[in-house]
Amino acid sequence: MIPFPSDQWAQHFKDALNANPNYHTKAADWEGDFLFIIAPDTAYPHQLILYLDLWHGTCRAAQFTTDHPQTAYTLTGSYSIWKQIIQGTLDPLRAIVRGYLSVQGDSRKIMDYAHAAQELVSTAAHIPTTFEDTK
Amino acid sequence: MTTADCHFWDPDIPTPDLQYTYTDIAGITIRKPILTTQTIATILAGLEHQRTEYLCSHSLPDIFDTIMDLITQWADPDSPWRRIAHDLLPPITGYSPQMIEEWGFNVFLQTLDPRDLPLTGRLDPHHYRQFTPYCTGYVKAAGKTPKYYDNDQPKLIGHICAGNIVGLPAVEMIMDKLIDAATWIKPSTEEPVFAALFAHSMESLDPDLAYTIAVLPLDSTQTDLNEYLFSHSDLIRATGGEIARHSLMKVADSCKKPLAGHWHKFSFITIAREYLSDQATLVARLAALDVSAWDQQGCFSPQVIFVENRGQTSPRQFAELLANELQSMMRILPKGVKAGKISILEGYQEAMKKQLLGSPVQLFSPPSHDYLVVYDETTDTVEPSPQFRAITVKPINDINEIPELVRPLHRFLQTIGVAVPIERLLPYAEAMGACGATNIRVLGEMTLQKSWEPWDGRFPLEELLRDDGSNWVSISFKDMDNALQASMTRLQTLHKDR
Repeated sequence: MIPFPSDQWAQHFKDALNANPNYHTKAADWEGDFLFIIAPDTAYPHQLILYLDLWHGTCRAAQFTTDHPQTAYTLTGSYSIWKQIIQGTLDPLRAIVRGYLSVQGDSRKIMDYAHAAQELVSTAAHIPTTFEDTK
Repeated sequence: MTTADCHFWDPDIPTPDLQYTYTDIAGITIRKPILTTQTIATILAGLEHQRTEYLCSHSLPDIFDTIMDLITQWADPDSPWRRIAHDLLPPITGYSPQMIEEWGFNVFLQTLDPRDLPLTGRLDPHHYRQFTPYCTGYVKAAGKTPKYYDNDQPKLIGHICAGNIVGLPAVEMIMDKLIDAATWIKPSTEEPVFAALFAHSMESLDPDLAYTIAVLPLDSTQTDLNEYLFSHSDLIRATGGEIARHSLMKVADSCKKPLAGHWHKFSFITIAREYLSDQATLVARLAALDVSAWDQQGCFSPQVIFVENRGQTSPRQFAELLANELQSMMRILPKGVKAGKISILEGYQEAMKKQLLGSPVQLFSPPSHDYLVVYDETTDTVEPSPQFRAITVKPINDINEIPELVRPLHRFLQTIGVAVPIERLLPYAEAMGACGATNIRVLGEMTLQKSWEPWDGRFPLEELLRDDGSNWVSISFKDMDNALQASMTRLQTLHKDR
C-alpha cells in the first residue's frame, strides 16, 4: 500500500499514467499543467498541493509541493472530496458539476477533454493507497 | 390530418389499457393519454429503476457526448426532428416558422452546450458583495430570502413548463441528466408537443438515457395526480404566471416539497446617451430584436425602453428609429398566427386616449398594427406592455432615475437590456440589483440566458440541488462595445438567412 500524501504516491501516479495507453490516447492533444489543491477539512487538517505537468498524453512531473506555482489549471476541493475521487467512489466530473471541486482555468477545455480527465482519475483509483487520515 | 403525441416514457413500462383523448390545436390532432395514479406510479418506478441502473453508473463524459450530439441534431435544419418540429410547432404555438427555427433552434437551443457550464464550484456570497468578474461577466450577491433546501442527490425532479418559450423542456431535461436525476415534465397545455419530441430525439441516440425521462401531460385540475407527482419528487421547478404560482405553491406546501418557481416578470431596456450618436440605429435594431424575439412573450422580453435625454439622437427620434427597425424585424423574424392583434389594438387605443386627453404621447404603428411604439414623456407611472411587439419608449434625464420609477414593480423585476458605458453601468446595476432586478444583459441578448447566469436570482443548475436563499445579480458581459458587436454579428446571421 502506498501512503497518500507522499512523494512515493506522486511518483507512482506519474508512472501509472505514463503506462496507461488509454490515457495516452485520450489526452494525446492535451497541453497544460495542473495544481490539485487539497483543502484542509475535519478529516485532514493540512493543505496539500499536488503539481501535475501533463503534456500530449504523458505526465512529465507529479509532485507534492509547498509552493503555489502558476499553472494553466487549478482544481480545488476538500481532502474528503479528493479522497473519494482518488478511491474511485466519486466521479471527478460529477464532483465538478455539483460544485464540490472548483476549477480555475479554461473550464471549457477541461470539459472537451472529459474522457481524458476521467481516465486520469481512474488511473489514480487503481493505485493501492492508504490514506493518512485512516492510519 | 396530422396527429401528434404529447407524452413520452420508456415503452417497455407496462401501461395496459391506456386510453387517449384527442383534441384539435390549429388543425393538428393532439393525442393525450388519460393518466391515472396507478399509471403514474408505474412510470415513476420505471424512472427510478432506469436512474439507478443506468444514469448513476454511466460515464458523465458519455452523457455530455450524447447531449452534444442531440444539440447538433437540433442545429441541423434537415434533421428528422427539425422537420417534424417545422410541421407541428408553428401552428400549435402560433409562432412563425422563422421564430421557432432560427431564434429557437439555431440560437436558443445552442446555448445548452453543457461544456459551457461554469465549473467554479459553489460561490460564497460573502466574496461577492460587489460586482465581481465571473465567467464572461460579473455577479453579485444581493441579499437573502428566507428559504432553504439542500439535496445533493435528487432522485426525481419534476418540471412544470410554461409554453411561451419553445425549448424550455430541453433545458430542464439536460440539466437533470448532469446531476443524475430522473425527470418528469409536465408540458404546457398551449404547447404540449415539443417536450415529447425532444425526448424522442434523445431516445434515438441513447434510449437508456431518454428512459430516465417521462413527459406527462396533465391538467392542473387533476389535483390528485399532481399531488402524487409532487409527493414522489425531490424538487419541482415550475415556470408560469400568477395563477400557476398560486395553485402550485398550494400543492407544494401540502406535499411539503421544495418548489423552485419562476413566475411572471417585468423586464425593460435602458439606453444611455453615449449610445445615441452614430450607433443609435444599431442600438434601435438590437432593441427591436429583443422586442420581437418570442413575440415579446418571455419573462425576459422588454416592456419599456428608457432612453436618456441629451444624446445626439433624442428619445422621440429613437422611438421613430425603433419603429423602422421593428418593421424590418417583421421580415427577419415574422410574427406568427397568434399575432395578438387585439392586445396591440387595445394598447393603441389606450395610448390614443392618453394623447387625446393631452398627454405628451406619440404613436408609431403601421396600419396593419403588427407592432406598436408608444413614445410617452410621462414618467409618473411605468405600465406593462400589452406584448406582441408593443413597446413604450420613455425619455429620462439620467439612468439613475430609473430605480425610483420601477421600484413599485420590484417583486417582478428581472432582465434589463442595456447599452450603457461600463463605468456608468456598474453603479446603475448596483442600484437596480438592490431594487430587485436579477439579470443585466447586452441589447439583442435579453432572451438568451448564458448557462452561468442566475435565473431569477438563483443559478439554474445549483437550484436543482440547493437553495440557501441567496439572491444573485449578473451582468452578462465585461466589455459593452464587444458585447454589442457580438449581438450585432448574431443578428446579421439572421439577416443573411432571410
